[in-house]
Amino acid sequence: MKTRDLVLIALFSAIIIALGLLPPIPVAIIPVPITAQSLGVMLAGVVLGAKRGTLAVLLTILIAAIGLPVLSGGRGGLSIFNTPTTGYLIGWIFAAFVTGYLSEKLVNRQQSGLVQGVGFFIASVTGGVVVLYAFGVPYLGYAAGTGLEKAFLGSLAFIPGDVLKAVLAALAGRAVLAGYPLLPHRA
Amino acid sequence: MRSLHVEGTGWLYRLSPRVKLISLALFSIALFMTRDPFLLAVGLLVGGGVLWQAHLGLKETLSRLRPVMLTITVIALFSFVFASPLEATISLFRLTALTLLATAITASVSISQFMDEITLAIRPLEKLGLAKAADIGLAVGLVIRFVPEVVHRYELLQDAHRARGIRAKLHTILVPLIIMTLKDADAIADAIDARGFRGQTSSPDILRGD
Repeated sequence: MKTRDLVLIALFSAIIIALGLLPPIPVAIIPVPITAQSLGVMLAGVVLGAKRGTLAVLLTILIAAIGLPVLSGGRGGLSIFNTPTTGYLIGWIFAAFVTGYLSEKLVNRQQSGLVQGVGFFIASVTGGVVVLYAFGVPYLGYAAGTGLEKAFLGSLAFIPGDVLKAVLAALAGRAVLAGYPLLPHRA
Repeated sequence: MRSLHVEGTGWLYRLSPRVKLISLALFSIALFMTRDPFLLAVGLLVGGGVLWQAHLGLKETLSRLRPVMLTITVIALFSFVFASPLEATISLFRLTALTLLATAITASVSISQFMDEITLAIRPLEKLGLAKAADIGLAVGLVIRFVPEVVHRYELLQDAHRARGIRAKLHTILVPLIIMTLKDADAIADAIDARGFRGQTSSPDILRGD
């Protein structure tokens, strides 16, 4: 791996952590306030692509696991792996990978802005919502002992917020691709 | 950024970090193998006892447990309403016991001890040429160094919005924040290579001139 890719991964991990330090944002149309940290996961895939994006998320989880309070709400340490919501944390890794992989496949610099935006949105929703919930919901149902169906109903309230984040990730991904393209230079 | 590790001299701190991490893994497997509330309560006492031995002080202990316990409590209530009181008790005891022990282990293992264990754990991968342990240490160091920088930039961008009479919104800050931060990558990478931190004798990038 080139040193530049290593540095990009580390800088993006720093961005994900910084987004977790922001207070949760209440959005008028949605019942639950959203935290910006999972937005960082989608952004990692959209901006850095599959390989580097996944490594940036892995690095963030590693830093949390070894005892730095870097996850939103000041969480950190090994206890992050045994809450009922751990499935979502593990899902982050696959969410970043799928978002990055689809971004690489769907978006290129020759497309018009609209096509790029839609491509990034599809990538972010598939990775950051579909794949993320595919990991989070079954684990939640298992760990809380409520079963799959009820865990899914309980998670529904968060889906509008996550779709909104996918829109933000798509807009940001498009703008970064125009201003400082990194996606085509694969690691 | 302050680490969750604290200096200590008790037996918990003197114990080898490898023993502590393996015990934690075994403890979690044991907890998930039983559904007996009595056995889980014993686990709760073990976790609590070890955490008490970390000598963090009551206030510090509670502030560390709060974020995780909040999720656990919400989930337990959820399962109390939708599943059964027994299910709720099992998940509450099991997860709380693990949280107590994990918090104690986290407090007693320093960042550098963790890095040593990680280096050891990925040695098989390193032999296969898939990962470099030194790179992981370097990346962790870079992140810790740059988080305050990113937060500072976020504040600068907020000020820039305010100076222009615009309400600072996440989506208008995000793009300049990402571009400003990632643009530093080239300079930082050059600085790292110039100092030979990654042990290269000559970078193929320089030879190719890109």
